Amino acid sequence: MSAPVPTATSAASKRSLLRRLTVAPARGQDAPVKRALIHLGLLFASLIAVFPVIRVFGTALRPGNNLLDPNFSIIPQGATLDAFGQVVFESGLAQWLFNSLVITLGTAAVGLVMSATSAYAFSRFKFRGRGLSLTFLFATQLIPGIMLLVPIYLLAVQLDLVSTYRGLVIAYSVTSIPFSIWILKGYYDTVPIDLEEAALIDGCSQLQAFWKILLPLSLPALAIVFLFNFLAAWGEYFTASVLIGSKEELLTWTLGVARFQGQFQTQWNELSAASIIVSLPVVILFVYTSRYLVSGLTLGGVKG
Amino acid sequence: MRSKLRLAALVAGLAVVASACAAGASPTPEATVAPTVAPTVAPETYPTGDIKITLWTKEGEGDGALQFVKKLTQEYEALHPNVKFGVTNKDVEALRQDFLTSSLAGNAPELLWTVADHIGPFTAADTILPLDGLIDPATYLSNALAAVQADGKTWGAPISYGNQLMLYWNKDLVPTAPADSDAMIAAAKAFTDEAAGKYGLVFNQTESFWLVPFLGAYNGSVFAADGKTPTLDTPAMVSALTFMSNLKFTDKVMPKEADYNVADNLFKQGNAAMIVNGDWTLGAYADVFKDKLGVGPIPKITGADFPKPYTAGAFFMVSKAVGDDADKQFVIADFIKFATGRDAQIEMVKTLKRLPGNLEALGDAIVTGDPYLAGAAEAITHGVPQPTNLEMRCVFDSMTAGVRDLFTKGSDPAAVARNMQTSADAGVAPGGECAAE
Amino acid sequence: MFDWSQAGTALSDVGVTLVVLVAAVAILEGILYVVFVRWRKARLALPIMLITPAAIGLLALYVYPLLWELNVSFTKMNIRNFIFPGFLGLTAERNIFVGLQNYINVFTGPVLKQTGFFQLFAQTVIWTVTNVFFHVTLGIGLALMLNRRLRGRTAYRAMLILPWAIPATASLQIWRTEYNFEFGAVNQLLGLVGLGPYPWLSEPIWNFLAMIITNVWLGVPFMMVIVLGGLQSISHEYYEAAEIDGAGPVQSFRTITLPLLRPVLIPAILLGTFLTFNQILVPFFINQNELETSDILVTALFRAAFQYSRYGFAAAFAFVIFAILLVFTVFYVRWTKALKGAYE
Repeated sequence: MSAPVPTATSAASKRSLLRRLTVAPARGQDAPVKRALIHLGLLFASLIAVFPVIRVFGTALRPGNNLLDPNFSIIPQGATLDAFGQVVFESGLAQWLFNSLVITLGTAAVGLVMSATSAYAFSRFKFRGRGLSLTFLFATQLIPGIMLLVPIYLLAVQLDLVSTYRGLVIAYSVTSIPFSIWILKGYYDTVPIDLEEAALIDGCSQLQAFWKILLPLSLPALAIVFLFNFLAAWGEYFTASVLIGSKEELLTWTLGVARFQGQFQTQWNELSAASIIVSLPVVILFVYTSRYLVSGLTLGGVKG
Repeated sequence: MRSKLRLAALVAGLAVVASACAAGASPTPEATVAPTVAPTVAPETYPTGDIKITLWTKEGEGDGALQFVKKLTQEYEALHPNVKFGVTNKDVEALRQDFLTSSLAGNAPELLWTVADHIGPFTAADTILPLDGLIDPATYLSNALAAVQADGKTWGAPISYGNQLMLYWNKDLVPTAPADSDAMIAAAKAFTDEAAGKYGLVFNQTESFWLVPFLGAYNGSVFAADGKTPTLDTPAMVSALTFMSNLKFTDKVMPKEADYNVADNLFKQGNAAMIVNGDWTLGAYADVFKDKLGVGPIPKITGADFPKPYTAGAFFMVSKAVGDDADKQFVIADFIKFATGRDAQIEMVKTLKRLPGNLEALGDAIVTGDPYLAGAAEAITHGVPQPTNLEMRCVFDSMTAGVRDLFTKGSDPAAVARNMQTSADAGVAPGGECAAE
Repeated sequence: MFDWSQAGTALSDVGVTLVVLVAAVAILEGILYVVFVRWRKARLALPIMLITPAAIGLLALYVYPLLWELNVSFTKMNIRNFIFPGFLGLTAERNIFVGLQNYINVFTGPVLKQTGFFQLFAQTVIWTVTNVFFHVTLGIGLALMLNRRLRGRTAYRAMLILPWAIPATASLQIWRTEYNFEFGAVNQLLGLVGLGPYPWLSEPIWNFLAMIITNVWLGVPFMMVIVLGGLQSISHEYYEAAEIDGAGPVQSFRTITLPLLRPVLIPAILLGTFLTFNQILVPFFINQNELETSDILVTALFRAAFQYSRYGFAAAFAFVIFAILLVFTVFYVRWTKALKGAYE
């Protein structure tokens, strides 16, 4: 068999193959090679992101109470849904999830209202101490949270806010305020004030202008803030443990799931099953709303 | 600008004062002296009127212990309908921290079901009530009571007593109980196959609790006769460390890294022939291995003595604030008597497979007739009560650092012992974390 | 499995709290209205009314605790002196005032058993800088890859966001176990390509590396989501114009993407820096052997405050940390003019 003689046509077809692989077929699309590389990169990153979660899932399926698995199987030997069943039907997970939901919705709502109004004041009014207050809001995020736990607890005891949800709702709402004001003010700043001024000329009061004009325009940002506050309160552990940790009936899922860890023995399979279950709503929420998350965060930062 | 600063300073100052005053006016009980005996006006009959008692327990759901605690309280509530219990589980560290902070706030739970070493911090912080006069010492194992006695007072009531480290072995892999350490090592070597991930002997290599028995085998002790001065750099310690180091690096019967979970899993999966673990897993291992489980004291070290593990247990403790409420105190004393009485204790042995603190229950056939419990009871005879003073924490921490150093780096035992001593000395010296004031 | 009466109690508890809050705010607003609108006729009446509820909450939950801690930091409140500090420890049951001794101890004494402040500070800085660097670069990288029409984009997004979504308590336990020398997945996977095994949990440097790897895993999704948002707000026209002008991908990244991402990146990096600096869960969990070389400032603070109950010392320590971050913020904000972009 003689070697194929390179002719003009096969060289051209080789070149065009290379072109087809490396040049974008159309505007806004990527060349196949580039696309393949991107898929590879994303796949690799996704595997790293997902691998520990798969191990958690595997532990949840494993019979007995074994954390370790020298084998690498995703579905372990003798996999069983027992742990899931126990967690859903026999532990208080359903109760804890409900408690968390109620608290989180409540605090996200309160936090949103307080932040939306305060951010409006910061955005639309100039007053002495505005810069200082904004810096203070910034500074609150620097404080190591554990430092605040003991005095907050003492205060809550004096005001009789422990062992109920009262103190927790207040604590979560208030601690969400600085970050929320930051985002909302940034967003309000991008909305031209002309519309409100026109409304004022037409006889609206400031509050009416806020309510009828600015708020509707800032729905995306409000949604983001609500979502962020929801997520922050949803997975919080320390404050909950201090303020309601003494009453079994009040447990949120973060405290409840921690119960699966004993002094010496940990119910690994149940802990893992519970972790998978509590992650599901968050993941679904994320995927569903991530387009909003994303644009909302930006809008807070980008200056027109 | 200056006036603003002054205003800010004034506000800050006022706030500091306000916080200090508010703190001072908190609902902390006024009494600064806790009665050492039952209050003079003890009710003659059982108090009527609603009594609410909060009980924090370190017992979790995992081994069914929390359910047992709740069962006890429910049985008591059935006997006395005007008493209501609120039972909460907190892990040991959280229980300690939260009890302290809630005591500061005047919001402490009335009753605790926790470990003996908590009397160290709780008495230092003056937050619990001495129980002399509220319990009858004759009902309890004296070793158990000794674990919660300090400064001539009794600070807890024993519920279960044990917590000792023992040797468990898989009878399929090790047919006969090792007679001494040489036999144990030989059996371990026979089984070890590093390439297959199989090891003859495993135990938690990250905690000093597992060092203690071996120290005892060479008749060493962590404290001098005064019970407060750490004595960690001793020939006994060096011998103990050498023994442990040899197990890993010379005899090579232990895995390169093993914490509690790793050791536990290896044994349960049949990849480890023997494990040194505590009495708290007796129930779990019995479930896994059925009658293939061997249990007994850690074998006598050839050329030395029997290893002497620390023993401890679960104890009731009572918050200091209860001393001011005669009715609550009465009810609590009665509940303690109920929960540590013979019947409840035998129930506990049946359900949790733990050795009771009640003398009568300890002598009952249910303990003496069960081979596992008998093995555990034999192990406990070699045990030594775990010191509960505040200095012990620093000693444990220093020893833990030393153990980790020994096992991960294979450091020289003499050097390790010296470092332990230095670290412990720093801890108990004035200004250190465990210092006597 | 589900107790309806308990659920009812939860609902009513939260519901009542909300109602009370609304009522309290209404009363507050009423008072403010009367004072500032009717009586003082202040120009700034409306902003005052809008901000006051939040301000009161923030004062109670941030300023009061800070002042309380400041107060305690001048006392020797600890397990043996477990009493209310009063005013600077002077008005307590017995005098526990120690002046600036705690602050001096923070800098001079060993904060943990052997490690002093400056070593911890250095460790924290290295920790923060490395993490933020990887968070940002990987976050931008992943966002760039995702910001296009791609098959399976939703699936990728869902997977990449999982580290953020799954509770840290579970994932960190798993990570810790996977770092086990013999049985953990990390060394086993590395073994497949002929590397390792490495002593992730027992050697200082490896442990530090392990902490960083885990925290990067944990923190990249957050940064990725932020950058994605920023990218999506950059109009395609810029890129098209650049392409027409003959700019390559690297060039358009440098001249278009980066500058337009700046307003988003700057606050994100700042936030990421604080979160990493004060990140307590990862070092705590991964540092199983409590190697002091793996401790950062906040974990040492936690141990001092809660494990050893050295309240006075811990308060002083916490203030020092806070002061450091504050100074950093001031410089960072000045340098990047961040406040302008975000606030003005």
